[in-house]
Amino acid sequence: MSSATPSPGPSSSSAHGHHKRHSILPAVSQSGPKPPVQFSSSCTIADSALLTGAHTIIVSTESVIHPRARLESLGGRVTVGRRCIVHERACLGAADLQGRYHKGSPDKEGRSMGAVTLGDYVTVEVGAQVESGGTVIGEGTTVGIGTRVGAGAVVGKHCTLTANSTVAAGEAIPDYTVIYSNGLRRVDRRGVSDLKNKAQARQIDVLRRMIPSNPAKFQ
Amino acid sequence: MSRRPPRGEYIETDTGNKVARKATLVGTQNIMLGGKTVIQPDVMIRGDLARTIPPAQSASGGPANNTAVAIGRYCFLSKGCILRPPGRMYKGVFTFMPLRLGDHVFVGPGTVVQAAQIGNHVHIGGKVVVGEFAIIKDYVKVLDGSVVPPNMVIPSFSIVAGQPARIIGEIPEGGIEAFELRDLYKTVGNNPQPTAS
Repeated sequence: MSSATPSPGPSSSSAHGHHKRHSILPAVSQSGPKPPVQFSSSCTIADSALLTGAHTIIVSTESVIHPRARLESLGGRVTVGRRCIVHERACLGAADLQGRYHKGSPDKEGRSMGAVTLGDYVTVEVGAQVESGGTVIGEGTTVGIGTRVGAGAVVGKHCTLTANSTVAAGEAIPDYTVIYSNGLRRVDRRGVSDLKNKAQARQIDVLRRMIPSNPAKFQ
Repeated sequence: MSRRPPRGEYIETDTGNKVARKATLVGTQNIMLGGKTVIQPDVMIRGDLARTIPPAQSASGGPANNTAVAIGRYCFLSKGCILRPPGRMYKGVFTFMPLRLGDHVFVGPGTVVQAAQIGNHVHIGGKVVVGEFAIIKDYVKVLDGSVVPPNMVIPSFSIVAGQPARIIGEIPEGGIEAFELRDLYKTVGNNPQPTAS
């Protein structure tokens, strides 16, 4: 009934493997235009990260982009700060639910806002969608699993957006806010920002050794 | 009829695992599949996030058995789900701990599992988020869309829902047979058998 096909695939056996198996990932189709990039020398970009768009993508010092993370600069420039971590299937610069890519309105001096700007020490977890259009995520914020941050929202520093939460378009979230449950908010008064930053730096040390980086592929 | 059979959607191993070709398994050396497990397309399993601190003195073995994700028998990983080992600071170093699934675990579509341990006969619905280092015991049903917060322990025989997840009920006496996944295993694959009615 179940025939074992002879092709070499990513088969895993229940016993310990004798020979080294290769991770055979299905080929990632890099659809869309190849964006101009500015990578810091110490950042870690996984080989199967997806970078598309017309505008520049900037990844700063010691940031980590996991495999299958998407950075789309179709609506504007995408800036990732220092020591950020972008997990798999997260999307920076996503379209909104109607499929439109917003362009940010210019700020007070008339410069155009980038599509998405991440501060330093930001963590964007699995499957989070940060829409394009002048969206700013403040320093040290954690965007939880599956969270959707609307276009043009400005999230403050050291916020925690728990899993599956939503930030409406254009909304401004004050610093140290925790968004949990179904839209409830409270203020985080623990004062652990420095400790979290140090922990993030340690995590990045470990991730840099684990994830093979290939920035040359995107340049 | 003497040509090679066409490439099916699934790769079937000799231990009976059915792994879709479009599933993304990173770091397959550290992923252990128990047998008769189904992995549907668009599933992503991060086996490369393995423990960096060796558990005990295994000087001869080296990093031979550094399991990141261990899955039991008759598990079913639906489309688009993600299994990823949880990580935390341990003795001053950030390290990932293994993610262990028991037997007969059903993971719904679009679910993200970052638990430390999931017991046997667990049914996890779609679009669920299981936070880091959560422990789910046996015979648990997690309803669709729940968010299990990090470090939560869900006792056996409970039904869990909500965001954050709360125990909303118990598995009734006769509800244990619903967790068996042997029939579901047969309906999937290159030669799917029709469901037994």
